Amino acid sequence: MTTIEKESENLDGLSDRYLLFKIESTTYGLPLALALEILTIQAITRLPCVAPYIKGIVNLRGKVIPVLDIRAKLGLPEREYDDKTCIIVVDIHEMHIGLIVDAVSEVVTVPMDSIIPPPSNSASFVSSVSELETGVVLNLVFDAFFSSDLELARN
Amino acid sequence: MGKVFLLSNDDFGMESMLEIFIHETEEMLEDLDNILLESERARSITEENINTIFRITHTIKGSAAMMNFNSISSLAHSVEDVFYILREDPAKLSLVFDSIFDLVFQASDYFKKELEALQSDNYQESDPSEIIAHLEEQAAVIKGETPAAAEPAAAPEEASEQPAGGVPTGEGTLRIHIMFEPDCGMENLRAYMVVGQVQPYCSEIVTVPPHPENDQSLAAEIAKGGFTIICRPKGDPDEVIRVVESAMNVKSYEILADEEPEPEAPEAVAVSDTKASESMPAAPAAAQAAKAPVDTTALTKGVKQSLISVNQGKLDHLMDLVGEIVTAESMVSRNPDLKGLRLDNFTKSIRELRKLTDELQDIVMSIRMVPLQGTFYKMDRIVRDMSKKLGKKAELITEGGDTEVDKTINDAIVDPFMHMVRNSMDHAIEMPEARIAAGKPEVGKVTLAAKNTGGEIFITISDDGAGLDTERIMNKARENGLLTKPESAYSDKEIFNLILLPGFSTNENVTEFSGRGVGMDVVRKNIEQVGGTINISSERGKGTTFTIKIPLTLAIVDGMNIAVGKTIFTLPITAIRQSFKISDPSQIIHNTDGSEMIVLRGECYPVVRLRDVYDIEEGTSDLLEGILIQVDSGDTGYCIFADELLGEYQVVVKPYPIFLNKYDLKNRGLSGCSVLGDGSISLILDVNTLKND
Repeated sequence: MTTIEKESENLDGLSDRYLLFKIESTTYGLPLALALEILTIQAITRLPCVAPYIKGIVNLRGKVIPVLDIRAKLGLPEREYDDKTCIIVVDIHEMHIGLIVDAVSEVVTVPMDSIIPPPSNSASFVSSVSELETGVVLNLVFDAFFSSDLELARN
Repeated sequence: MGKVFLLSNDDFGMESMLEIFIHETEEMLEDLDNILLESERARSITEENINTIFRITHTIKGSAAMMNFNSISSLAHSVEDVFYILREDPAKLSLVFDSIFDLVFQASDYFKKELEALQSDNYQESDPSEIIAHLEEQAAVIKGETPAAAEPAAAPEEASEQPAGGVPTGEGTLRIHIMFEPDCGMENLRAYMVVGQVQPYCSEIVTVPPHPENDQSLAAEIAKGGFTIICRPKGDPDEVIRVVESAMNVKSYEILADEEPEPEAPEAVAVSDTKASESMPAAPAAAQAAKAPVDTTALTKGVKQSLISVNQGKLDHLMDLVGEIVTAESMVSRNPDLKGLRLDNFTKSIRELRKLTDELQDIVMSIRMVPLQGTFYKMDRIVRDMSKKLGKKAELITEGGDTEVDKTINDAIVDPFMHMVRNSMDHAIEMPEARIAAGKPEVGKVTLAAKNTGGEIFITISDDGAGLDTERIMNKARENGLLTKPESAYSDKEIFNLILLPGFSTNENVTEFSGRGVGMDVVRKNIEQVGGTINISSERGKGTTFTIKIPLTLAIVDGMNIAVGKTIFTLPITAIRQSFKISDPSQIIHNTDGSEMIVLRGECYPVVRLRDVYDIEEGTSDLLEGILIQVDSGDTGYCIFADELLGEYQVVVKPYPIFLNKYDLKNRGLSGCSVLGDGSISLILDVNTLKND
């Protein structure tokens, strides 16, 4: 392998790595390259006049970022946050957004060949399904997941 | 042009080159407009100004050619041509005074439009050929009328750059042979850039090969064989050499012996100052005298170098960091771990730190401050253009143009101001005959005045025109269903304020300049967006005055923190009139629609419960338990009901994440948020949008 090839390998070395998190008993995956950091749940400043799944804003080292509850966004009943609840900070179109999830499980490498298209009747924000030893993972595609938010945020 | 040198730095891509080009050209155009306005008013143009215009257009031509914007370059070229002729004989200007000014204004507008287009995603060059044709016509007029001066006028380019017959000779001429770096590309244009840079220091200049900028094919030739400048330095030849030395992509240069093509005698450089000027042939002596002011411009250039332009993004970042430091400082000094401890030395050190952070904050703020003069100049231009088009006579008087405001605010008020000045010109100032008939001076006055009153800036836009017609406003408001109470109950002031409502426009006829559906409500919105307020006073037949009050800066506000349940709000101190507790529930008047009001000193104020406005479940609903804060919002005021006051803080305003833009929090009374000393976030209230009625 030449140096150049190695470098490009390093550059997108993250491309097949996924961060897995749990909502209820379902495992979801998001591309690791999008995840900036994982925070434990902290005090969230509630904002009025926003959608119910937007829990408010938090101060991330001086930067104010919005925090969304994935459970609420998925329409699941909300539950008390506990010590497993995490905020995953992701970068979507250069906007930093915190996502509240029940728990973060692990980072895995998902080989291309184990990613299969989702069943046609699944939600549009599930881009693919991967089958791992530990179980099935639904891969989220943020553009679709947040389409209603992104569309207007950009205007 | 100074910054174009950055080209030699390989890290700078085309994009930042473009930014620099836009920025510098914009600045030059502003200068150009100022000079033109000033000169047009004086009905004459000084030598110095002709030279400055010449220099500006020349620079624009050069850098536009460099960037491959050929339309800009060619228009700049034809303006330059005209001023080249005028430079030789300024007296000719009187022949074509008005048309030249109009054309150069048009050219300036064209440049501005192009620059704007450049900043959009898909830039399309528009065609300047019409202006160019007119300019050429005028150039011909100047030439045609003056056969005596045919030589310099007939072919400005030749005189300036063509070797044919015009090669400077004799003592004092300098021949510089330049080689460019291999593979730098566009050698012909680079050669042309060098000529442009050298030109201000030389009285005559020719190049071998001639006109490198017009012929792409010369690029290869220059790359291979180099390029020669033959010039006559105005002052110290070393200056010319230094310019060549610092020019970009120049690999090497050689001073050729005077009149001798052989490259051998670098001593030729050692021509002394006096010698150079003494040895000028007698013929261009007059021209030389005329050119003396150019040296002064060169001098001012030297002074200017203490200024640097900085990317606004970096400044914003710096501002953010300073904000962080201010926050961090209060995190340390108000650290809960320190509660109850007696720490004399610590307190002393903290005081020192606070002094420094305050100073740092002041400095950074002052960097962001820009004088309003630039905005005022733009209005000058509008008054000029509109008085010409509408056949009205008016002058713009500005006061306090040196008042400084934050750059963000400055940018936000340009449009509203333009609109208001246009309104004044279009609707308020009468035709000259009408003015005379009304016993007013023929020339109308539009006055822009700014003054700083501590934390705020007052700007007044007044005219001595017809004044607002209350009857017409009332009719219009009635037609549009804007009236909310019996007509007789409206005071004059309230009637004036009707024009600020959305959906109001008194002008039935849409004109070119104003009344295009964008009314005063947009003006009000823009001003309120930067935390300002607008007030109108007017007298029939005497004129109208708009008073605008805007905060000095948006970045840091003195605020009162108030709590509602667990939510902390920050209320800008400037908006607060007073706060008080009520002891008797009977002070509250209940309206039939469920709203509450309170009477203070004979006036009735609505009560706004933050708890209800923002659906906060916690917190008290008992008016006796909480606290009322009376705030000013525009002309009226109201009382905010909250749980308690937490104290006065200086907070750094942060915008809400753009992800939340769709919720339009700004128009729901929440202008921004702020990180408090303990890391929690407060929501900054905007009293103007909190209560919409």
